[in-house]
Amino acid sequence: MTKENRPAHGRPGDGAASADILGANSEIARKLKQYYEEIVSDDIPDRFTELLTALERADPSANGN
Amino acid sequence: MVPSQGFRQDLLLAIPSLRAFAVSLSQNADKADDLVQETLVKAWDKQASFQEGTNLKAWLFTILRNEFYSQMRKRGREVQDSDGIMTSRLAVHPSQQGSLDLEDFRLALQQLPEDQREAIILIGASGFSYEEAAAICDCAVGTIKSRVSRARTRLQELLGISGEADYGPDAIAAQVLGSGTSR
Repeated sequence: MTKENRPAHGRPGDGAASADILGANSEIARKLKQYYEEIVSDDIPDRFTELLTALERADPSANGN
Repeated sequence: MVPSQGFRQDLLLAIPSLRAFAVSLSQNADKADDLVQETLVKAWDKQASFQEGTNLKAWLFTILRNEFYSQMRKRGREVQDSDGIMTSRLAVHPSQQGSLDLEDFRLALQQLPEDQREAIILIGASGFSYEEAAAICDCAVGTIKSRVSRARTRLQELLGISGEADYGPDAIAAQVLGSGTSR
């Protein structure tokens, strides 16, 4: 908790490095996305829309922020 | 424009990826949805502390992650194996060498330590940058990089696939250590 992000090595192009470390087209990278997308593409369970509605009702003052 | 309605809508849109992250962390669908629920309630309460224009998704992921670890501490790190998930061992089918089975992948992912698993998910699936992932996990960028690298190496070992092309474990380690890529 105490440690803030210390400056990394200052390497340029972290976006590219991201692809490098994981191997953008590697089997692992593909499976990772497939695994994740399968969950993302699920329908949102009703409990969550109901929850948000309940929160909104319980706390109308939040409108003003 | 009512801010609250925009916020509600933004939360709604974030739910699918929050669920995916929660499942990745907890490895259990029911616990994951409880985590998401807790996250939404907390986010709603802390709504005023969210700074417009900053990354809402990263903010929500941070809340969810904190919730996960605080629950885990309470339960004495029993989260992962509580349902005997780990007892089902990895089985890589020889006939499927070419295309890795998703179920095998899932089992392999479960065997990673949480810190590596969350790192590789945030970077490889959730679409966060290393800087964002470091902020979410409250650690240094270099730490995230080495976790991703170790996670990948471990997954390759578990799944019996070799490092592809130019990016074997050694090349990855070299990059993470910042010892420079050949140009």
